[in-house]
Amino acid sequence: MALGRVKFRTEVVAVGPLAEEFRAAGILVLFGDGVPEELADVAVVHRPTTDVEDLVVGDVLVAEGEEMRILAVGDVVNENFRQLGHLSLKRNGQADAALPGDLCATEGPIPPLSAGAEIVIHAAGSATP
Amino acid sequence: MSDYRKAKVNKGSGGWGGPLTIAPSADKPIIACITGGGIHPVAQRIADLTGGEAFDAFKSTVKFDQMACAVIDCGGTARVGVYPMKGVPTIDIHPTSPAGPLARFITEEIFVSGVKPENVEEA
Repeated sequence: MALGRVKFRTEVVAVGPLAEEFRAAGILVLFGDGVPEELADVAVVHRPTTDVEDLVVGDVLVAEGEEMRILAVGDVVNENFRQLGHLSLKRNGQADAALPGDLCATEGPIPPLSAGAEIVIHAAGSATP
Repeated sequence: MSDYRKAKVNKGSGGWGGPLTIAPSADKPIIACITGGGIHPVAQRIADLTGGEAFDAFKSTVKFDQMACAVIDCGGTARVGVYPMKGVPTIDIHPTSPAGPLARFITEEIFVSGVKPENVEEA
């Protein structure tokens, strides 16, 4: 399925020493730049280069060439995303968010990220060009 | 200044853990609010009852070892584990239960969830 327009773009500025523990569990934890140090320790810290738009089912998050299609958006996901640049993306293949902060995506690996990497979120592709 | 009091924080509807007794001290005077969007009413209520200082941790830097407690609005994965892991009594506004890679740090002695201002009382 084709990717739609870019709705969000951000650059990774740091990856915390404990972020690997989440990555290994299939979870990508993002926090915006300026997050307290103890949260930066567990997170991929990023600096958006676009405005933040609400995420919806069907959006596709792309990092290091890995496409992660969104299957479910928990009740507090967009509030966290707007206020803190925070997402907890889980590649669990679930169509229901078990926790209010869960952003569920198609199953697969979370790619290793490092400073300078780009994360892009596309809207769902449409049939018309 | 040693004019601090204690507050008891009970779990709210659908919540988990606690009750926690929050006792600020000269070394740990900060009621850290890690919710974004300013001081959450739960953090303000705890500060009002204890004499601790409510602090927006996203606006200014505060060291976790100065925190009497951390008030979070975590959706269940990251913040719920980080502050318990650091030994900071943690109060989640949302009714979450232990989950995620850091779940092993989340115990009833250090974590309480689903908390609203009316779940905070004098101790």
